[in-house]
Amino acid sequence: MRPILAIASTTVGEAIRRKVLLIILLIGVLFIVVAPGLGILSARSETTVLKSFMLGVIQGVSAIIAVILTVYMIPNEIERRTIYTILSKPVQRWHFLVGKYFGAVASLFLMMVLMSAVMGLMFFLQQQSKNPGEVAELMKGPMMYFVQMSLLAAVAICFSTFVAPLVNFFLTVGVFLVGVFFNPLFQSLQDNQNTAPMVKGIARLVNTVLPNFANYNVQNPLINPTSAIQNEGRYYLGITVYGVVYIGILLIIGILIFDRREV
Amino acid sequence: MAAAIETKQLTKSYKSKQAGTINVVDHLDLHVEEGEIFGFLGPNGAGKTTTIKMLLGIIYPTSGEGYVLGKEIGDMDVHRLISYVPERPYYYEHMTGLELLKFYGSLFGITDKEKFIKLLEKVNLHRDMTKTISQYSKGMQQRVGLAQSLLNDPKLLFLDEPTGGLDPIAHREIRDLILSFRDEGRTVFISSHELSEVELICDRVAIINRGVIARQGKLSELLKGGRIEITAEGVAEGLLKDMKITDANLRVVGNGFLLDMPEENDPNSVIDAIRGQNGRVISIVPRRKRLEDLFVETVSNKGANS
Repeated sequence: MRPILAIASTTVGEAIRRKVLLIILLIGVLFIVVAPGLGILSARSETTVLKSFMLGVIQGVSAIIAVILTVYMIPNEIERRTIYTILSKPVQRWHFLVGKYFGAVASLFLMMVLMSAVMGLMFFLQQQSKNPGEVAELMKGPMMYFVQMSLLAAVAICFSTFVAPLVNFFLTVGVFLVGVFFNPLFQSLQDNQNTAPMVKGIARLVNTVLPNFANYNVQNPLINPTSAIQNEGRYYLGITVYGVVYIGILLIIGILIFDRREV
Repeated sequence: MAAAIETKQLTKSYKSKQAGTINVVDHLDLHVEEGEIFGFLGPNGAGKTTTIKMLLGIIYPTSGEGYVLGKEIGDMDVHRLISYVPERPYYYEHMTGLELLKFYGSLFGITDKEKFIKLLEKVNLHRDMTKTISQYSKGMQQRVGLAQSLLNDPKLLFLDEPTGGLDPIAHREIRDLILSFRDEGRTVFISSHELSEVELICDRVAIINRGVIARQGKLSELLKGGRIEITAEGVAEGLLKDMKITDANLRVVGNGFLLDMPEENDPNSVIDAIRGQNGRVISIVPRRKRLEDLFVETVSNKGANS
């Protein structure tokens, strides 16, 4: 556990100093800060637009940070030869991979906390009722996005053990986009009685193999109270467990590949 | 003496579409004794770094055996007793020298700040320990690398090109540090191109060329075969010819002669003979065989083996 923590904390130290990530984070925060002014541009309720925009910014910026942070993480360590010094110590390869992953997730956590805090503050200031309960309700979104981004980071780390960074970038982004936008489609194909058995089988296979990132898009019930999730606590717990299990599987695959890889 | 490193037919192959299977390290038999400074020499691409990576368990051998401190390579227990400083090392630039030692120390469970400071003192970086690595010069980065390599009080150190790209002062500092490691009873395995440096500090060397060990042995034995040049005048050429020195060359230089002979011959007998004929010895120049000569000779003649 000791090497994992040491590697994770070093990864955080590096990540929070990476200018490209800080610039993206700053842009995200700026968008959130100016968000209250955007309500007048829409015919919809000002609060609806504000919530929707701010949650969208947090999700989008976090996804970009997660991909940039993780895609180059392992290749950089190999290219700079820092990995050799570390692996010459009593550190197993899986310690290294898991440490890097936890470091990436901890960095994402810090950055998402910052954006969420700014969002909470802006939303509170914008509210006429000044109701902290509503702010807390809104925070469910970033919490689920955090699980979503942790899953995305695991996908990228897993790919980084066997593909080049550029290929990894497109693979990870592809898996994320399919998981976000097409999972509901595959789900409906799978559930529809009229779907051909072969199509159904393919839909089931895709749904099983690719992580379902769409699970974590909880913005609709948060923005629109009429579309509330039934048994909300159970749903959030369920998708969190799903995410953790999936992350575990991806890390195990990554470890098995990385363990035999020539570095 | 016990072996710090022992390899038997250690081989690393890669497959190439153009050239088929390439043995980057080819049936390597290496023997490094405990407590010595061992120089591992070879031209670029000879297989030096690949060998070190195999010995450290970073890459896996295709065939053969390797033992480090008596245990099979890759054994995690051995990693507590060894250290490695890679060629042109890169350390996390946002860290200070002290933080870097804390990080590497934490991988061993070492948290003793006093120890970190002592190590930085040893490599003369204690005054710069709060500077970040990005502010360190190349020589300072190399020294902080050596400091981190001593964290676990290693029995065996692997140094890959420890003086590469450093100025003469930094060279000397690193050389003195390496010599101090031997005085402390550690085994040092150096891969290097700096032949003059290796000649000064190494007890034994191996020269690897195209993955094959071409020469291996004590430096003093490998460098045997030097020559002595004696210049004399006022003496008949016949006298020197009559001495029948094997493998000697005699040529006329100005008013005298220059005798070039193997160092195994006794120069005193030649000098006595010259003086006996009222000749005058102008100069006696020992021409010691240098490691560079041996290296060039070995690398250009792949078949050499001793």
